[in-house]
Amino acid sequence: MVWGPMIAWYLFLAGASAGAFITAAFVARKYPDSVKMRVAGRLIAPVFMAIGLLLLMLDAEAGMHDPLRFVYLVLNPGSVMTLGVYFICIYMPVCLIAAILEIRKTPVPGWLDWIGIISAFCVAAYTGFLLGVVHAYPLWNNAILPILFVISALSAGLAATSLIGLITDRERFEQMWLVKKSHVILSAIEAIVLFTMLVIVNSGSPEGAASVHSLIAGQYAPLFWGGLVILGLIAPFMIEGYPVFITKKPETSTTSLVVSIIGESGVLIGGFVLRLLIVLAALPVAFL
Amino acid sequence: MARYGMLIDTKKCVGCYACRIACQMINGLPSDEAFIKFYEEEQGSYPNVYAENVPVQCMHCEDAPCQTVCPTTATYTTDSGVVLVDEKKCIGCKYCMAACPYNARVQLHPSGVVEKCRFCWYEGEPGNPPACVGTCISGARIFGDLDDPESEICKEIARTNAQPLAGDLTRAKIYYVR
Repeated sequence: MVWGPMIAWYLFLAGASAGAFITAAFVARKYPDSVKMRVAGRLIAPVFMAIGLLLLMLDAEAGMHDPLRFVYLVLNPGSVMTLGVYFICIYMPVCLIAAILEIRKTPVPGWLDWIGIISAFCVAAYTGFLLGVVHAYPLWNNAILPILFVISALSAGLAATSLIGLITDRERFEQMWLVKKSHVILSAIEAIVLFTMLVIVNSGSPEGAASVHSLIAGQYAPLFWGGLVILGLIAPFMIEGYPVFITKKPETSTTSLVVSIIGESGVLIGGFVLRLLIVLAALPVAFL
Repeated sequence: MARYGMLIDTKKCVGCYACRIACQMINGLPSDEAFIKFYEEEQGSYPNVYAENVPVQCMHCEDAPCQTVCPTTATYTTDSGVVLVDEKKCIGCKYCMAACPYNARVQLHPSGVVEKCRFCWYEGEPGNPPACVGTCISGARIFGDLDDPESEICKEIARTNAQPLAGDLTRAKIYYVR
């Protein structure tokens, strides 16, 4: 396999960073009083992105020996990786400035927020297109993967931010129905999109079918079912969906706090596992 | 301008690996890094079966996917159609390794640069012939200009009806007799 866990971490952190920024912007508009959660999102965004970029550079061995070479990354606009560099060049400074403004308790101007939201969306999407344009791997080379990555990115960013909100400012968090609802819906959409992708890839080519088989019934099956499907999709859907659709009242018990923490952590673990599995399970097309 | 390509006759190849060693020597590669990989394919049906040796290296594709994805433009194609890597520009991101459907690219150590067969390109010209062709004991390899109908390679491709390894996967410039 060409890429390993380090790149999977990068794909996850970049996506979660973008999701956290978008969550913070959303919270700022809909729930201006939820200061802690907004600040959490604003801080998670640059921190996750910075860690991700560090991992990305560590994986680029020749660049680490001669760091000035990273400048060449802007030279080929026909490469999705170069496009990603353009997006990150906008996103990283914007989310860093937004975080600094937030720390200094200065309101983030609306135009800056919008640049951040759009570039965050581009960053989340590019991580999917990066793999999506590679013809050699049928598991990557399909139109659904970028969509799956964007939804998972939003979900992971929302979970990271919610986790902090849940712990630091629970009373207010429990009242944020719009956030909770979006979370449940995102999990459901992600499950449907994942299912769709696996069906399409499975029918497209023998190598695609073999990749899907290794996920659902082969060597990656325990991680796929345990880490992604149960922990990352079903558990969060049920944990978040219960108060949102069944009891319809804010939770206050300690049990529900613990369960909610498990749900949010599950989304984060699922987000990483999804990318790890997509990176590891992809088999190349046969040339012989 | 020439358009360089290669013909590999798997029916003549005895699987001695001399080409790979010559390639490693001229490119200064250690024993565990090579630009030529050998695949053994089971051919025929019982009882008439044989093992076919298929040496695989960079196909110097005219629509090279490695070049399309290379973010730093370290991968480029010369006027004569040889796909090369500018080692001073490569950051080792491995995107080209993912994009190459022939698994022809190799990350070198300790430099971290990703390299591959370059038709023994030195000082603006490919090898005459490249090391793998020159050393082949059974004459299984022919190197030359695909645009020159009088060249040995063109005549052999026409005579043997040699084809690229994987049909329309890419527009490869290495032809195989199988």
